[in-house]
Amino acid sequence: MSTLHEVILPPAPIRREEALRYAMQPRTADGSGFPQMDACIRMAEGKITCRAVWRMDALAWEADRLDLGFAETESSALRRRLDGCDRAILFAATAGMEMERLILRAKAISPLHGLCMHAVGAAIIEEACDRLCARLAEEHPDDALRPRFSPGYGDLPLAMQREVFAALDCGRKLGLTLTDTLLMQPGKSVTAIIGLSAKGDNDR
Amino acid sequence: MTDVRSLLRSGTVYLDGGMGTLLQKRGMKAGEAPERWGLTHRDIIRSIHRAYFDAGSHIVMANTFGVNPVRYDAQTLELMVRTAVEDAKEARRESGAPQEKFVALDLGPTGQLLKPFGPLGFEEAVAAFAQTVRLGAAAGVDCVAIETMNDSQETRAALLAVKENCDLPVLVCNAYGSDGKLMSGSTPEAVVAMMEGLGADAVGINCSYGPETMAPVVLRYLACASVPVICKPNAGLPAVVAGETVYDVDEASFAASMRKLAEAGVRVLGGCCGTTPDYIAALTRATRDVEAKPVEPKRAAVIASRSHALTLSERPVMIGERINPTGKKRFRQALAESDMGYILAEGIAQEERGADALDVNVGAPGIDEKAMLPRVTEELQAVTDLPLQLDTADPAAMEAALRVYNGKAMINSVNGSEASMAAVFPLIKKYGGVAVALTLNEKGIPETAEGRLAIAERILARAEAEGISRRDLVFDPLTMTVSADRRAARVTLEALRLIREKTGCGTVLGVSNVSFGLPAREVIGSAFLTMALERGLSAAIMNPKSDAMLGAFRSFLTLNGMDANCADYIAFASALPQTQPAAAPAASAQPKEVPGGKGLRYAVTKGLCADAARFASEALDRGREALALVQEEIIPALDDVGRGFEAKTLFLPQLMMSAEAAEAAFREVKARASAASAMKRCAVVLATVKGDVHDIGKNIVRLLLENYGYQVTDLGRDVPPETVLEAVIRLHAPICGLSALMTTTVPAMAETVDLIHREAPWCKVMVGGAVLTEAFAAEIHADGYGRDAMAAVRCAERFEAEQNA
Repeated sequence: MSTLHEVILPPAPIRREEALRYAMQPRTADGSGFPQMDACIRMAEGKITCRAVWRMDALAWEADRLDLGFAETESSALRRRLDGCDRAILFAATAGMEMERLILRAKAISPLHGLCMHAVGAAIIEEACDRLCARLAEEHPDDALRPRFSPGYGDLPLAMQREVFAALDCGRKLGLTLTDTLLMQPGKSVTAIIGLSAKGDNDR
Repeated sequence: MTDVRSLLRSGTVYLDGGMGTLLQKRGMKAGEAPERWGLTHRDIIRSIHRAYFDAGSHIVMANTFGVNPVRYDAQTLELMVRTAVEDAKEARRESGAPQEKFVALDLGPTGQLLKPFGPLGFEEAVAAFAQTVRLGAAAGVDCVAIETMNDSQETRAALLAVKENCDLPVLVCNAYGSDGKLMSGSTPEAVVAMMEGLGADAVGINCSYGPETMAPVVLRYLACASVPVICKPNAGLPAVVAGETVYDVDEASFAASMRKLAEAGVRVLGGCCGTTPDYIAALTRATRDVEAKPVEPKRAAVIASRSHALTLSERPVMIGERINPTGKKRFRQALAESDMGYILAEGIAQEERGADALDVNVGAPGIDEKAMLPRVTEELQAVTDLPLQLDTADPAAMEAALRVYNGKAMINSVNGSEASMAAVFPLIKKYGGVAVALTLNEKGIPETAEGRLAIAERILARAEAEGISRRDLVFDPLTMTVSADRRAARVTLEALRLIREKTGCGTVLGVSNVSFGLPAREVIGSAFLTMALERGLSAAIMNPKSDAMLGAFRSFLTLNGMDANCADYIAFASALPQTQPAAAPAASAQPKEVPGGKGLRYAVTKGLCADAARFASEALDRGREALALVQEEIIPALDDVGRGFEAKTLFLPQLMMSAEAAEAAFREVKARASAASAMKRCAVVLATVKGDVHDIGKNIVRLLLENYGYQVTDLGRDVPPETVLEAVIRLHAPICGLSALMTTTVPAMAETVDLIHREAPWCKVMVGGAVLTEAFAAEIHADGYGRDAMAAVRCAERFEAEQNA
């Protein structure tokens, strides 16, 4: 059992370019603006506080298995990502129910508003995860942090979400639930694993 | 003293402390369910309960926190409740502690989110809790404790289940975040209003954080609750030190902080995660000499939405009247077609104009209000935070809506007739709510102010005799039409003043009626509104979209010092239409002025909704044939954009902007009914499959298919295979479209495809969604695959051509 750390990530400016990308709009074609996206960004700006919970576990490497502290896995993709790491941070982050409400509200305005608000939600939670990771890196100055890796990536089974939820007490800490079909709700949520290795090791 | 209700009245009540954290110390693994572990470790469970009784707890929670039918089958459920209650009772027998001792059935969250954000329907949740409650009551618990709930709607479901299945007292505790709100966004004031309305015997907080952190929330409870307040916090925050979980608030500081809260008026004290029998012993010692503060009933009339409470006595409130089909053809059509989008947009528009609450009336010929009112209520609450005023003359529809309403509603209405009071008062008693009481009775509407006051007083006396608080009534002295009787407005205003003075209750008026039959209705209507507000009107049911009415309302508040820095007035005024010729209208008219035929086709191509509607309307008014307009302008524009999308020179948002502009143009075409049938194509049933809630893609497909004239029936998301089949058979639909985003929901898609092929062999099924590929679609026997929304349209066209061939 590891200590659970709770993190509040207050509203930050919404990355418009990122939201456009999630709305499958690589750029605003003729610079003429995109009123629905702008309206959604205005609706969400400053409204969404993301919350996260994380824990750190020691990794135990075995011949064909990896003990993550909260679960064991045979995933070779994760093993590759964590190669050289002796610890890993497991986190869950969510933009919460308020984001879901904004999306429903936008859908009621028009399908395009719905698409845009979905994209805004994705941009918000991704930005919050970036902020969380930056903060974790600051808090662990002697360690190198690997890019985050989520259940469902490569051969890491999505079913691991059940163990992730138990390990992070996601229901109580974040109000997150997992459906039988392994959907996280509220939907704008992320769980991921970040490998850590002492910086000295890499320098040598 | 023999029951928990008298115990709550008698003074300070002590609950128990943590359970899960203690079980982990005794060998239970993290992630294991205490209720399951408890079945095989009954001696440990009993010893913990006993230690709490010995430490001074009056009420101990049986080990049933996680026991619900969402998690366990009926047999396990019964075994768990019976075992847990027996163990708690056995501990009570063993304890020699002198205080009165009771056992509570403990109800925690189901672990599933409720609709619309999760899979669990409200009535399903009520039924789930009801099973556990009946088992608990049969096992002989003394009361029920609802705990650690972080969604107000799930808390309501649990409380309603208790109330409908036993007569036991019930304590309701919610878990708050550090922002002082539930995860569902509800404030303490909103939660108190709804739980008191549903008949909770005590309300408060548990779990969450330590007592110091929770103190501000607890003080807010004390300020608004009329029942005893509970505080059952954690021993601070947990940390793992040398493999052991430790909490950062020790027994002494926990007890000291709790003493302060007891002195402030908290009457029910206990602990949650990290607290132990030692904490409870310290707590009882530290608070023994604190005299329990009496519970003061609060006076203000309060309604609440999911998120916040609205007090009707602090300043006048504006209730938007626009969700009402009376005299609105477009609205009746939306109801008949279950066009929720139109109704929701009407709600959002009023909220954006500053309405404090929304009246919701869906009564129209041919509409099943009992089904429609709760549906609109739920859908509106998903998109707006405003409290609702449920408006129906049908008590069954009122009850259906009150059940699902996540808040404390305004109930519109009851009147002085026996039949009305007999129908509505029980609903207020059961669900809570503030009733709009009309000052009329069997004999009609009294012509004098005194006559209306007399009815108000009679209603008030009857309500109080039935145990309904006077704060839950607001009186409507009835706005009559001044063009029919020159004294009408004066009588109403005089009755308003009299009722306020004599009863002290709040008042409400539907102000629009005064101007009926007169020209420039808003001019006289806004003057009447000002006069009514000046006489102390608490709530105006009015049209927030009228500049004149809204202007009168805003001005009144500003002139009465209720608008800091005149901010609301300035915001209102700056949104008024410009009186000087301004640049904006010219810009929107631009396409018309640009040479080169930049008309409807241009507007649709560029996704300009307003222009598309205007061009279509003008063309039709000029006598352009509807079908030609569709085939020569709208469809070619859509095709241009569709081709651009397929060639990747245009992107999804442009495709959708054009589709929405086309929809705006189609609306004009449909408004001229004869033309509508000409563009009709076959029926298509759409659904996002069971277990999946990702419906953005499906919604885009719907929009495009509708553009191309298909008669789309959209079943929504998380739709079981049988429901899809039922719709396909009912409509004899030749085409069905299914979407799924997750690998885990593709099996449900395969199941639906198989079912349709078996039972409705005439129907072709197309599938789409992020995880699907053409090969995967073939593997699950789908007849077609849509990579994107345009591909889905092409696929439907192909199916249709094959059918016609």
